[in-house]
Amino acid sequence: MPERKTQPITDQPWTKPNDGGDEGGPRAPDVERPTTRELLERMKRVDPRQARRYRQRSGE
Amino acid sequence: MDRLTGLETEYGLWVDRIDVVDLMAEARQVVQSGPAGVPWDYEQESPLQDLRGFRASHLKTNPTDDHYEQISRSRTPQPRTPHEEHVDRVLTNGARFYHDHGHPEYSTPECLSLWDLLAHDRAGERIVWEAAQRYQQRTGRAVAVYKNNTDYHGISYGCHENYLVRRDLPFDHLLSGLLPFLVTRILYAGAGKVGVEGPADKSDHLFYQLSQRADFFDEIASVDTLHHRPLINTRDEPHADRRLWRRLHLICGDANLSEYATALKLGTTALVLGTLEAGYGAPVELKDPIEAIRQISQDSTCRWLVTLSDDKTMPALDIQRAYQLAAQELFAGRDDETDWLLREWAVVLNDLEEDPRRLRDRLDWVAKRDLLESFLEDENRNWHEDLDQLRSLELEYHHLDPERGLFFSLQRQGSMQRLTSDAQVEEAKYSAPRNTRAYLRELCLSRFDVKSASWGQLTVKHRRRMVKLDLGHAVNGELEPLKEMPADASFEDVVESIAEMQARR
Repeated sequence: MPERKTQPITDQPWTKPNDGGDEGGPRAPDVERPTTRELLERMKRVDPRQARRYRQRSGE
Repeated sequence: MDRLTGLETEYGLWVDRIDVVDLMAEARQVVQSGPAGVPWDYEQESPLQDLRGFRASHLKTNPTDDHYEQISRSRTPQPRTPHEEHVDRVLTNGARFYHDHGHPEYSTPECLSLWDLLAHDRAGERIVWEAAQRYQQRTGRAVAVYKNNTDYHGISYGCHENYLVRRDLPFDHLLSGLLPFLVTRILYAGAGKVGVEGPADKSDHLFYQLSQRADFFDEIASVDTLHHRPLINTRDEPHADRRLWRRLHLICGDANLSEYATALKLGTTALVLGTLEAGYGAPVELKDPIEAIRQISQDSTCRWLVTLSDDKTMPALDIQRAYQLAAQELFAGRDDETDWLLREWAVVLNDLEEDPRRLRDRLDWVAKRDLLESFLEDENRNWHEDLDQLRSLELEYHHLDPERGLFFSLQRQGSMQRLTSDAQVEEAKYSAPRNTRAYLRELCLSRFDVKSASWGQLTVKHRRRMVKLDLGHAVNGELEPLKEMPADASFEDVVESIAEMQARR
């Protein structure tokens, strides 16, 4: 199997390399970011270790 | 759509104070807490039969799972029959609800309309969640159900698509024609995942990828589903006339919460199958489809380049565009549903190219990433600081509780596009689509003494005799919608209807 080409690593996943540059990069999204304060507060209350404890049997 | 289509979802299950080894017994109880139905008939199942014309000797199992199984056997008595194992039942809406390897699983009835299929997929979520609630009330154990595909410890479970495909389309042509499409459709059908699992684990520097399932495929095509999973499953169980039909069983898709993503995933796949049946082929040949699906899923630059068999590279978006154009050429103007699909497919590909963030109200992977980014910004933190916490938040996105699940919160506040209504989903919990053989199932279950049922067969006790109704023949050669049947149809009407469809083949 051929070795996978290494992609540039950024701290912000899914940001195009030319994002915000002056080479005709992506425009501001047409859809407003929807996250509300209430949703963020709920996210803060989520048990941060629940995924570590989550174990499943293999499915199909 | 121009073919019978269905969706099967294995749900992730968490029960307070229950070890993974004992999860199967609890999953059975969850299913038994759901609606009653008619026992499943296993007579027509043949999981070892391969589409390529041979019979496999066995199915591979997952080593981690074998370990759990060994401990489980030493702890508790094991089920002795398939019915004890799966607590399988067919519901009045024509669906199948059962336990599969520790997961409540729901298979929608066969649908011809994309909108019916969306409503039935959503109805399945509600049925599974309500069963889990009743289990919780009965046992006093807290329970969570997730519509996702991974436990973040290398174990995956699926969301399978089924499409009826003409048998006269050679399997090699089907395979080569579909592969570049399936590998690249995760651009819009991926549900998004925090981190990486398996041999390609790069979680030290990759924090989010497009697909939940892309890490778990090792082969292109095989009959296996539990280990060394293939992109295309070759199980040959048409549940229809074997001489005319294959059932294409795709196991490479993610479980979507977004109705829009589900619609595109299923609708575009049905369109591509139509182009292949019409004689079109793949626009390109990929050098390594397994590597390509991982590469696309993990490409945080959003360039999504894939390597072709001639070692040239091409944007995955362009491959999708080639398929879209072929479908446009053949099917534009066929009906409203097709036109909607062709239009939205093109819109999504353009939005992905210009700025994927525009799709935060339509695609799961974008909506979830956006939610996590908002959280990190609010906390003034970075993606790499606490992967466990991000995964815990991700689980909340997939939670089926309509009050608690983050996806459902986004939908409720109008941040996710919705294609079904509450009334349609509620109706789908109890009623089958009117225009497929699933309606015959509903009709028989509600009016006659049905002893067992499957996709292709119903066993009914009628006038002290056991009568087997062959629903395999209720798929006619032209795939015409089922002739309208009155709700008060007699048993003889049903038998006549099936005979008529058989004659029309």
